[in-house]
Amino acid sequence: MASTRHRCYFFLGIACVILFLALLSVTATVQASSARQDATPTATPSQPEGEPDPRLSLSDEYCLGCHGQPGQTYELQNGELLDLYVPAEDHNNSVHGEMGYACVQCHRTVGEYPHEAFTAVDLRDASLRLYQACRFCHQTQYDQAQDSVHSTAFANGIREAAICTDCHSAHAVRRLNDPNTKERLPDTGIWAAQTCAKCHSAIYEVYRESVHGSALIGEGNQDVPTCIDCHGVHNIEDPTTAQFRLSSPQLCAKCHTDPRVMTKYGLSTEVLNTYVADFHGTTVVLFEKETPDAETNKPVCYDCHGIHNIKHVDDPEKGLQVRENILARCQVCHPDATANFPDAWLSHYIPSPEKTPAVYYINLFYQFLIPTVLGGFAILVGLDFGRSTLNRFRERRQKRPASETHETAEQQPAPAEDNSTPNNEAGNE
Amino acid sequence: MSIPESLKSVENDQAAVLRVFHRFSLGQRWEHTIIIISTLALFLTGLPQKYRTATWSQHLLSTPERLNFIQQVHHIFAVLLTLEVAYHLFKGLYLLSRRRLSSAIFPDWQDISDAWQMLRYLLFLTKEKPRFRKYNFEQKITYWFLFFGIGIMVISGFIIWFPIAVTSFLPGGIIPAAKLAHSTEAIVAAIFVLIWHIYHVHLERLNLSIFTGWLNERDMREYHALEYERLTGENAESQSTGGSQ
Ligand code: HEM
Ligand code: HEM
Repeated sequence: MASTRHRCYFFLGIACVILFLALLSVTATVQASSARQDATPTATPSQPEGEPDPRLSLSDEYCLGCHGQPGQTYELQNGELLDLYVPAEDHNNSVHGEMGYACVQCHRTVGEYPHEAFTAVDLRDASLRLYQACRFCHQTQYDQAQDSVHSTAFANGIREAAICTDCHSAHAVRRLNDPNTKERLPDTGIWAAQTCAKCHSAIYEVYRESVHGSALIGEGNQDVPTCIDCHGVHNIEDPTTAQFRLSSPQLCAKCHTDPRVMTKYGLSTEVLNTYVADFHGTTVVLFEKETPDAETNKPVCYDCHGIHNIKHVDDPEKGLQVRENILARCQVCHPDATANFPDAWLSHYIPSPEKTPAVYYINLFYQFLIPTVLGGFAILVGLDFGRSTLNRFRERRQKRPASETHETAEQQPAPAEDNSTPNNEAGNE
Repeated sequence: MSIPESLKSVENDQAAVLRVFHRFSLGQRWEHTIIIISTLALFLTGLPQKYRTATWSQHLLSTPERLNFIQQVHHIFAVLLTLEVAYHLFKGLYLLSRRRLSSAIFPDWQDISDAWQMLRYLLFLTKEKPRFRKYNFEQKITYWFLFFGIGIMVISGFIIWFPIAVTSFLPGGIIPAAKLAHSTEAIVAAIFVLIWHIYHVHLERLNLSIFTGWLNERDMREYHALEYERLTGENAESQSTGGSQ
């Protein structure tokens, strides 16, 4: 009984949807009036139209007539109050305002006052509905964000996971890149860090004290990485995976092997090479190439240098040039390591007589030994081969008829036919 | 000089008698076999680790499990080789304490002059090949080059195997030094065996004495004339050409 009724509703629903879609395709121009806002962030509605509906070309002043008044609120289903006030300067100073976009180019469905009722369960729900408007123009970034940790978290039921407007804000959207060069603007780095800090404040506090963060936030230094340089922008990868770990040295290497950046600070660009040449790095790089998702406990850059709390190498508390600090790092994996142990690691040095004499001289020794001694042996073998081949050749020509005689040597020696060979050493032992 | 028991006679079916001379004891032959097996296995399992950046090696060591496996195999044969080295040394020390250690393998001035004469011979400066004792200078070079080579491998191998224990009483710089020595000596020893040893035991003449235990009369006369004369009291040059011409 109930099931037939359900089926009835179901077919009715399908019929409605089909009818609706048909209408949509016939009257493409009225598309903007459809209930676009109902879409959830994980759903993938059809591509929104780039051009706003001409019917909706209301002026901003018209909207601001109400929304420019502070103190206006709207009660959502759970009783939360949605602030309807939009300060005009927020939008005007934003990248969208600068470029002359109008309210209704995002808010396409409102129409003239009184608009269609806006329904949302709560404030978060309101944001989740409204931010879909970003896709009218920024579908690429939206798609990238679908691959990010934030989307994964959202799919796992965490509604607070960041969406476009959480970082960029809804109305005061900042210009981040230079429109001509497409380069980042000078303040973008700091802005990015502070934006992530809105949720990841504990990490931000640590980062701010680090060698990178203090340079960025304290000095506005443009050479140091901000959050998004390592984590990516929209498609932020999960940094706790084995894959991220194995590929992380390349991340650091992006800047730390770039002489244009490193020479300014007197830093070596050989850090990756020397890491790869030493025991930990060879293995990490090997796995990265062959099995990028392999779990390994071999240390990558950040296991020793820290992640968000990276300090100068001579920092008394964390710096790895301080013996106790590096020993403590070694002991994380080698608990029984003693004070001598850290020297087993060449500290990114290329072996030199001052810093690592043993390695340097052993290397020198073999560089000498291999060509001289092994080369000498090779020459001797070559000469021996030459001479004995020649002998064999001559012998065969001379002795062919009598060749059998000495093949089956008898007990008794035959008469000597020796050719002045010195016999005197015989039996002198 | 009495005919020692190391002089055996074997009849062959042509009724002619080919004399063979005892050369290596069973123990020595086993030692050599163990060395061949273990060094070969160590070389084959060490090489991919050394050339980790090469594609062929990366295919072999593609996962942590495989790397671990190959290291485990390396360690097992390392223990085998170490036991062999320990046996060899203790046997030598034991014989020494009994004053029965043969001096035949130790180099002396005669070897220098043999080597010099050999060089002159090879350069066609003389027609006479030097006449050798039980071990010629080439064989002594083989023995001592690999004696020290394997010594370096074993010592450096244990240092990189147990870095924490080692650095509890030695400076840390010894670890990368041992690794470099291990890694390079492996190649040196391999090249040496390939060009020097294999040439002398296989290409110059097929010498299987380390596997069979005996050497035939012809090789004895030609390559170990003095030893031949010492054992038989006969003139090694008789009947044969001595190989020098
Ligand atoms: C003829 C004998 C040997 C050869 C040819 C050999 C060869 C090698 C090679 C080529 C490597 C790679 C080095 C690198 O990464 O640059 C290696 C690593 C290593 N070898 Fe040997 N080796 C020999 C004997 C030994 C012995 C006797 C030991 C120990 C007692 C040993 C222990 C090690 C250890 C611990 C490593 C480091 C990797 C691992 O943990 O397996 N090796 N060997
Ligand atoms: C890693 C490989 C090897 C090592 C470390 C090794 C080591 C040695 C050493 C130390 C000796 C004693 C010195 C000498 O008499 O020349 C010896 C002898 C000998 N080896 Fe090897 N060997 C190896 C491989 C081989 C192979 C592959 C063969 C066979 C083709 C071979 C055949 C012989 C023979 C015939 C002797 C006795 C030479 C004589 O008449 O004195 N060896 N080997």
